[in-house]
Parts: sequence; structure tokens; C-alpha cells
Amino acid sequence: MNDALFSQLTTLGSSVILLYGFTLLWRKSLHAYTVAFQWQSVMLTGLFLIIGYFGHDVELYLVAGFLFILKVLILPRYLGKLEQRFPGERESRPYVNVATSLVVAGLLVLLAYAITRPLVLVSDLPTRGGLPLAVGLIFVGLFVIITRKKALTQIVGFLVMENGIALLAVLGTYGIPLIIELGVFLDVLMGFLVMQVFVYHIHDTFESIDVDQLNELRH
Amino acid sequence: MVITGYVLEIAQVILALLLAPGLAGFVRWLKARLQNRRGAPPWQPYFELRKLFGKEVVMSNNASWLFRIAPYIIFASTITVTLLVPMIVAPLALDGMGDLLMVVYLLLLGTFFLALAGLDPGTAFGGMGASREMTVAAIAEPTIALAIFGLALSAGSTNLGRIVTQELANTAVTLSPGHILAFVALFIVTLAETGRLPVDNPATHLELTMIHEAMILEYSGRYLALIEWASWLKLTIFFTLLSNLFVPWGIATTFDPAALAVAVIALIVKLAVLGGIIAVVETRVAKLRLFRVPELLGASFVLALLAVTSSFVLK
Repeated sequence: MNDALFSQLTTLGSSVILLYGFTLLWRKSLHAYTVAFQWQSVMLTGLFLIIGYFGHDVELYLVAGFLFILKVLILPRYLGKLEQRFPGERESRPYVNVATSLVVAGLLVLLAYAITRPLVLVSDLPTRGGLPLAVGLIFVGLFVIITRKKALTQIVGFLVMENGIALLAVLGTYGIPLIIELGVFLDVLMGFLVMQVFVYHIHDTFESIDVDQLNELRH
Repeated sequence: MVITGYVLEIAQVILALLLAPGLAGFVRWLKARLQNRRGAPPWQPYFELRKLFGKEVVMSNNASWLFRIAPYIIFASTITVTLLVPMIVAPLALDGMGDLLMVVYLLLLGTFFLALAGLDPGTAFGGMGASREMTVAAIAEPTIALAIFGLALSAGSTNLGRIVTQELANTAVTLSPGHILAFVALFIVTLAETGRLPVDNPATHLELTMIHEAMILEYSGRYLALIEWASWLKLTIFFTLLSNLFVPWGIATTFDPAALAVAVIALIVKLAVLGGIIAVVETRVAKLRLFRVPELLGASFVLALLAVTSSFVLK
């Protein structure tokens, strides 16, 4: 019974996390992206706590704490600042329109189900139901990076993809060693800061954060 | 025992017919209260029906026989659906008559004739409304079927009565991701199919973006009453599907009078809760531009697709 509850909770949590990834494709304002990322991270923190509780792993509580501080408090705040620097920037014309990208995202999740099927079949983890969803989230994040034009959207896409990797790691292994987890967090933070600097530079050069204009580098 | 089953079917239809105007009125009233208006009382639609049935029918000279029979077809097809949807008792006597595909296509039949009737008198608004309704229906109908298929997969039957009894037997399944995704998908489709706010505004007659109202603009008297009643009935049917397929508790599984009484009360409570949710949603969201409606419905289609996938994989 306990195992059944555990597996149901993790699958449910993974689905909700994936759904927050989908809002990136449906909404157009940068503020909505920030909020979606923040809530996704809250859900991810909750999932870490659940897995820590049922898997009897105290370290995961610590990781969940770091995750909360980094992805729910610090990164959304920086994203909010970026958003205020560039008001009125909206993802108005992505390379792939909204309806098509939603369908493509659905197909990507189907693909994730197909390629993780052998893994799920041999695994006897109670968390195996969420594995395809985590892989699907990675795909969706990658898809956002490819098809959206604004630099800020692409950053959020990267962060969502990173959430997907963290989800996959915690579902598949009940948490990787703390030291690696810390390294990953630091990488995400550094990556984000570097990208932020790039966004400022892109904006200074082109007076827009539309990366489509990078295609015309010759002045 | 067999006779009781059929009597219950009839009772269920009458109950649905009686509840439908009240539900529509309740949603209107609650919405008015939420917007700081006093609003008409919840039983106002009953008066509207009485008034409309008493009035004479005025028809355009260009209208053909189709225009006359369409209201009856719409009303009859909607009533037939109430025979197949478990409202108060789970294994229905007429379960063998049709399953969820039957329900979807009966609803689509009503929509189809409504669109034809909108086109028939040759007014500009009617044609516009009909073409929009078809655009919405073309994306919404497969989503309904797909969302309920998600449930049918875990129950092992496309029969609505069977789905409900299976869920009552195995309650853990109601919290599975497949069910929750299917619920969200069906909720969005309900908004679209019954002409609620992000898709269509039920509160106005004079707007260029109207869908449902544009099609019935030419109707009057008892024809209008039948169409309005059928559309309220459709709202009730969708709410019943949402509540009884996803939260089946309270529904009677025997013909015991006490259980039936509980089931009726449970149904009314569930409908009221869903009506409250709709009223809050309609107060909070603005109407979508018509060209964004396919995006919303596309999202709900993807959710339904994922629901089916996860039910299939986790089976």
C-alpha cells in the first residue's frame, strides 16, 4: 500500500511538473514563464521531499533545501529583474506557432514514452512511472530553446530542461551524491549568470533580445 | 427488476430536464454576485422557458423545413444522451444501447443540425456562427472522445456505466495522472462545447464574436425554448460527465430508494460545485480572440492525448 501510494505520488508530481513545462509553449509573456518556472521548481522541491521521505534518504532533504533557495528564490528573482529591464518584450512570433508546438510537444512526450519503455519494463523502482515524463520534460525544454526567438525564453527553456534532468536523476537513482548535486547547482547558477551577461550584450548591440537578429551579424 | 431499471432511466431524463435550467440560472446568478451585481434569481430560466413556450413563432420567409425540424432534432438527440450518461445510478438499464462513442456522436449530431439551422435562413450572423461552431466542434469532439478513452483504458470498457462501477471498485485509480490530465482536458472542452467564457460569451447577444447566440438569432417562440433548453441540458450533461466519471462517489449502484436519494443529492451538490467553478473561471478570464481558440483546444487535445498515453503505459 505504501509503495502504491509512493508510486502514485511521484507519477502525479512528475505530471504536474511536465504540465508547467507545457505552459512555456502556450503563454507568451515573459512574466508567465518566470511564474511557471517558479511553480515548477516548487513542485520539484516537493517531489524531492516525498522521495526523501519514502526512500529514507536524509540527504535529499538538504538537496531539496538548496533547490528551493536556488530555483524558487534566487533564479526567479533574477529573471524578474531581467524582465523589468526589457519591458514589453513578448514571445509574439515564435518559429513554430503555438498550436503546432503544443502538438509537437505532445508527440515528443509520446517519443519519450517509446524510448524509455525498455527501461521502465526492466526497472522495479516504485518511481518508474515518472521516468518517461522526466525525459519528456527534457525534450520539451530543448524544443522551447530551439523554437523560441527571445533570449529570455531560451534561458527559461534551459532552466526547465535542467529541471527535467534533475527530475530524471532523482526518479532514477533516489538522488545522486550530495557533492555532485552541489556542483550541478553551482553550474546552473554560473550558466545562468553568464547567459544574463550575454542577454545584456545582445540588447546593447541590437536594442532587442530577439536572437533572430543574430543571423545578420554583418553591419 | 428490469422494469425498475427502465423507470429509473425515465426518472433520470426528467431529473436532468428539471435540473438543467436551474443549473444555468445558478451559474448566471453566482456570476452576477461575483461581479457585484444583484443578478436574476437562479430560477429565472424556468420563467424564460414558460414565456417562450407561450409566444408565437415568427419565421423568415426564406427558412425551409430544415429550420423547423432542427430544434426537435437538437432537443431529442440531447435527451437521448441523458439516457446513456450515468447520473444517479451506475449500471444503467440502457447501457447496452450505446457507449461513449454514441454519446459523442449524439452530441455532435445536435451541433451539426444547429449549424445547419444557423445557415438556413441565409443571414450573415447565422453563417458566421455556424462556421465558427464547426471550427470549435472539429477540434473539441475528438478531445472529448480521447479524454474519456483515457478512462476507458483503465476501466477496460468504453461503456460509461462500466467505467463508473470500475472506478468505484478501484478508487486509487481516480488520482492517477491519466485521470487528472483527462479531467483538465474535458474541463476545457466543456467550456468550449457549452459556449462558456474563454471561447464564447453566454451573457451577450450583440457581439461580433458570438458563436452560439449567432446561430439561434433567427429563432423565436417554442423553437427558441427547445434550443435553449437543449443547450442547458448539454451543460448539465457535461457537468455530470465531469463529476460522475472522475469523482464517482455518491452515485447509487443498487435500486435501493435511500441510495437513490443520496445519489440525487450528491449529483446536485456536484453540479453546484462545478457551476461555482465555472462562475469563478468566467469572472476571472477574458474572452480569447477567436484565432487563439484553436490554441486552447489544441492544448486540451494534447492533455487528452497524454492522458491516454499514461493510462495505456501504466495499465
